[in-house]
Amino acid sequence: MSYSTEQIADMVKPTFLHRKIYTDPAIFELEMERIWGGSWIFIGHESQVPNAGDYITLNYGHLPVVMVRDKQLNIHVLHNRCGHKGAKIVDKRDGHVNAFRCCYHGWTYALDGTLAGVPNMKGYEGTGFDRSDPRYNMQKLARYDSYRGFVFASMNPRAPDLKEWMGGAATVMDNLCDRSPEGEVEVAGGVLRYEHECNWKLFLENLNDTMHPMIVHKSVVDAANDYIATLPEDSARRDEAEIIPPFGASYEVFESTGITGFRYGHHYDGGETSIHADYSVDPDYERAMLAAYGADRTREILTYNTHNTLYYPSLTIKSAIQNIRVVRPIAVDKTIIETWSFRLKGAPDSLLQRTLLYSRLINANGSMVGPDDLTAYFRVQQGLASTGNDWIEMHRNFGQDEDQGDRLVNGGTSDLDMRTQYAAWKAYMTNDTPLANQEAQAS
Amino acid sequence: MTNVITSNPTIRDIEELLYDEAAFLDKADLDGWIELYTDDGTYWMPVLPDQEDPVNHISLFYDDRVLMEIRRRNLKHPRAASKDYPIRCSHIISNIRVTEQVDEITTVESNFHCLVYYNDRQTTYGGTYRHELVRSDSGLKIRHKRVDLINCDAALNTIIIYL
Ligand code: FES
Ligand SMILES: [Fe+2]
Repeated sequence: MSYSTEQIADMVKPTFLHRKIYTDPAIFELEMERIWGGSWIFIGHESQVPNAGDYITLNYGHLPVVMVRDKQLNIHVLHNRCGHKGAKIVDKRDGHVNAFRCCYHGWTYALDGTLAGVPNMKGYEGTGFDRSDPRYNMQKLARYDSYRGFVFASMNPRAPDLKEWMGGAATVMDNLCDRSPEGEVEVAGGVLRYEHECNWKLFLENLNDTMHPMIVHKSVVDAANDYIATLPEDSARRDEAEIIPPFGASYEVFESTGITGFRYGHHYDGGETSIHADYSVDPDYERAMLAAYGADRTREILTYNTHNTLYYPSLTIKSAIQNIRVVRPIAVDKTIIETWSFRLKGAPDSLLQRTLLYSRLINANGSMVGPDDLTAYFRVQQGLASTGNDWIEMHRNFGQDEDQGDRLVNGGTSDLDMRTQYAAWKAYMTNDTPLANQEAQAS
Repeated sequence: MTNVITSNPTIRDIEELLYDEAAFLDKADLDGWIELYTDDGTYWMPVLPDQEDPVNHISLFYDDRVLMEIRRRNLKHPRAASKDYPIRCSHIISNIRVTEQVDEITTVESNFHCLVYYNDRQTTYGGTYRHELVRSDSGLKIRHKRVDLINCDAALNTIIIYL
């Protein structure tokens, strides 16, 4: 069915959401057009294409795109589509080319997408075909830009500048990068791709859902604590013992971490503390940080402790762990979640190794944490097929969001994260120029 | 270590161990399974076909005894939503070859197909196993197992149990 703007607006109430936003393929198509087409979407990191001609391919929403570095070392984000009859130009996840060449009829393109060659031009003479017409290029996405090496693109020519769009949430990306003694990070250690049989928003809603870990992750926390209790006192310290048990923290602990919400749907939990706050620090790393930043700034960087930060709708990062998860929606009930890890330039290898251990323990398809989360999303996806109740609720700490100007703040177990996301959802989905007029969004 | 049999294991000894392991996994019995591993045993499922490093690169699984012990307990926990569904597997192992015999360590490669029925869906996994086996007082044991799925770098769903 198709929806009027009023009908869509009616699906998001201050404390209720209509189930169809998770189950109706028509809503999913509109989301791809209006939210994924209107917002800034994470494409990749500059370190993935270090040299001229390096590229990566991915789906933006469900459109094929390619990120490539040209001969002047500028990065472009192009539609991965031939200007002739439409074939996908490159079909490897990453690679290197001197120029793009279509596999079908051999049209070639410069690294910025400009058409460079068409075989057998003879048949085109006098037909009105103009090889220099930009319509035959590989098309650039309307906007692309990067912040500290993280490349985003937008289909929306009227999107605000990337930095403005990130707003106060940029602090967390700064923290991720500042944790490198050189202030720079690079992608390292490969990617996990995890198929989720659920709507993309269920994954996002879980990021700052701190009412679930003590329930959903009880089994792995109990199993870890049980086993740790059998070990002799003087056993070697294990990162696992620092990473797993905090998932069983109490409501009080999670409430104290707080949630902060921004315009455009971004939010994070933590800041002063999080479930990552008590990790031990490698002394070699500490030395490298002190040498680079001095004592005060080092303390400031390492005690800034967020858990999950969402850049709505496509990217979530863990600054204290240096991993990110990227949301790639496939269908109304299917989403692929990618987990990427970062090396902190100038830091010892142990930091990357801990990041990878974390991803393997918490986010991997074979882990004992992610599969329990996914079971919950899957059950919600199935449960919402029910017509017994058309609404889900999000009342926690409603009416108590504290307005601090550019942000709203509330307790860590509040539903502020959901209210933040759905203010953005509603604005994108109902406004003809969603990004030009978001005044009402943060309130 | 006294009374250790020093002769190399025969193919029959090796098959017996691999089939025992498969039988425990078919029943999702990690209590029995873990006994087949040495105390310093590891289980690795890389995410790339020729992955060399389990520590500086992400993997689908890389467990030592500590994680095996946690996983064994987690599987039996009454409150693990992902374990609400029965897990039934059927492993077929074939093409078993000894590829290396160095000192006490026998390296064995094999092909496997494994059907996993879980949460109303049946998934087919396939690929190669590489087992490193050692003699111990209580017989032949697994010191390391590497599982290379032929689709290790695809977007996979949950892998609910060791394969
Ligand atoms: S479709 Fe690309 S050259 Fe014809
Ligand atoms: Fe969770």
